[in-house]
Amino acid sequence: MQSLMTQKNKDLLLKIGKQWAVIFFVAEIIFFGLTAKGFFTVNVFQIVLFFGTAVMLMAVAELFVIITGGIDLSVGYVMGLSTIIATKLIVYFSASGMPEFWGIFFGIIITLVLGLIPGLINGLLVSRLNVPPFIATFSMLGISHGVSELLLTEGAAKNLPHLANVIGNGHFLYFVKGGGFSFFARPEVARGVKVFELFPNVVVITLIIVAIFAFVLSKTVFGIHTYAIGGNEDSAIRSGINVKNHITKIYMLSSLLASSAGVIYMLKYVTGKADAGASLLLDSIAAVVIGGACLTGGKGTVWRTILGAVIIAVLETGLRILGIPTFDKYIMVGVILILAVLIDRIFPETTYKE
Amino acid sequence: MKGNLNLIIEQSRLLKAIARNWAFCFLIFFVVLFSFTGKGFLSIVNFQNIVHLSVIAMFMAAAETFVIISGGIDLSVGFVMGLSSVTAGKIIQTLFNSGNYSVGVCILIGSVIALVVSLIPGLISGIMIAKFKVPPFIATLGMWGITNGIALKICEGFPVASLPDALTKIGNGYTIYFKKGSGINFFSLPEGVANNQIREYLRLIPISFIIIFIVIFVLRHILNNTTFGQHTYAIGGNEDAAIRSGINVQKHIIKIYMLSAFIAGMAGVFNVFQTGIGNFTTFGAMYELFGVAAVVIGGASLMGGKGRLLASIIGVLLIAVLENGLLISGVEPFYRYIAVGFLLILAIVIDQLFPDLF
Repeated sequence: MQSLMTQKNKDLLLKIGKQWAVIFFVAEIIFFGLTAKGFFTVNVFQIVLFFGTAVMLMAVAELFVIITGGIDLSVGYVMGLSTIIATKLIVYFSASGMPEFWGIFFGIIITLVLGLIPGLINGLLVSRLNVPPFIATFSMLGISHGVSELLLTEGAAKNLPHLANVIGNGHFLYFVKGGGFSFFARPEVARGVKVFELFPNVVVITLIIVAIFAFVLSKTVFGIHTYAIGGNEDSAIRSGINVKNHITKIYMLSSLLASSAGVIYMLKYVTGKADAGASLLLDSIAAVVIGGACLTGGKGTVWRTILGAVIIAVLETGLRILGIPTFDKYIMVGVILILAVLIDRIFPETTYKE
Repeated sequence: MKGNLNLIIEQSRLLKAIARNWAFCFLIFFVVLFSFTGKGFLSIVNFQNIVHLSVIAMFMAAAETFVIISGGIDLSVGFVMGLSSVTAGKIIQTLFNSGNYSVGVCILIGSVIALVVSLIPGLISGIMIAKFKVPPFIATLGMWGITNGIALKICEGFPVASLPDALTKIGNGYTIYFKKGSGINFFSLPEGVANNQIREYLRLIPISFIIIFIVIFVLRHILNNTTFGQHTYAIGGNEDAAIRSGINVQKHIIKIYMLSAFIAGMAGVFNVFQTGIGNFTTFGAMYELFGVAAVVIGGASLMGGKGRLLASIIGVLLIAVLENGLLISGVEPFYRYIAVGFLLILAIVIDQLFPDLF
């Protein structure tokens, strides 16, 4: 009887340990709900997600790499490079007389294609030359930083067409009380009539991308191989997976996601900046680790990573509403990161794998 | 082919020495190259500037060398430096403004407290890594955020300014001031010479040289000639074997991270002397990553057990010469990031080709 009780307690403890990120998230929401005035509004939640887009994308990029047992330090500056390339291309296209929409469209497509290159180089270095991921991606961090500064020597990346701003800061759905709905375009209303804005475009785009990659990781052969490589590289090789090619693909995917974060940044802030993603390295790795992944590889899921990213985003917005300077955010993120790993140590059975 | 090359290199002592010290050979190559391409590169003043400006990076590389040899990594050094710099600045400022203490006492108290404070992040990450088996990357990344946040809180987001002038006089001073016709002066300009005439004097051996020389000498002694250094290599080479041979590995790892943070703290205090203000570290500075880069260029392996302190310092100098030389030769300074990237990859590839050299 006694042993049953302790077993029961142990199970309960394990359950709590397993769900600690969720519990932490709920506690965080309740805390800010009680202390920060006006926290529980649709708008604030939209703002959280709006500012969290970059962290989400970067965290998913980092997740794929971390599952294979690697690390990608270059994501922040690849993102910065992409903001600059996208801005310059779109400005160039619209200056050469292309219609705004097609200019933006082609600018984004070309940026995303170019965004594969840093990942390709990283992947080849890591898989073919056996360069440790830390060093290879750090070199790429330097190289992409250098290239973005070089691109900026001919003038700042700005003056995007107005449409970019409309896309980046617009919403998917607008409605006016008694006036019906309208999609994408803000309805013309008389002054003082309140327009409800729902689903910011960039959030919708981000969530679609995230959903695609969640599917890729959990339901496709590509995802299964990713876990296999992270779990045990030798047995992955023996079971016939082309590990070298797969790792190259993983790093390409990571830099593709980083550059899509750059494109979204460009749409949101209508400029390009070399250090746009510099401070996101800590956030994205923290999000992955909070989501239960482990740096030795083989563990982690996309949705838990997104939960980690949202925890950080809520923290940032909540602290801002409370009027606490962002400095505290860095401390908090650091503490949560360490907490996450400690919990992982205390409950080793709790981490995830799909 | 690879085997042949290895064999040839094995047989020739000279080639072996060159491959082992390729970073040093590169350094000499670049110095010669830039002497031709850059006007004014080859001068005592310029060389002094290169070293003077890379003193902080040398501290960082020294800190990383110990950690990397033990098989870990310390990402927090850059922000620990910022924390120490801001702490020293704030204390000196407060004491100085209160007017109760002489300048020397203010500076002394500020520096000592900053150094003690900088031990704390090292202690915490050391305990997490040694006792709780948190991966060094994560533990120090956590510290990265925490120390940065605390430093920014202390200084409220602005550098701590209006500190006594004596700081920069020490930090940017020279041992010898020399002018033809008016003789040699030690440690300061001759009486009655205004600061704007300073260019007329040939200034030799910055005080920073003496400081960094002593620090490197002591650290090199610790690494090469003491049991502490021996144990560091032993732990990095094979932790299990180190435990079995009776080394208290947990305690030793904590000490290594404290040492690393302490060296970073010294860099922070030095930073106050050099700039005359307490600086927090910006995200773009990436001291920790350039520190790791210098250590890897110096031939250390991130797997641990390998690395030499002087080689890491050569790594720092190589990066600094490249940066300075490119600038003087009129190349866009941003190429330096790209150049460092290539150097790093080269370092690893050389390491992979000749694994038995080091």
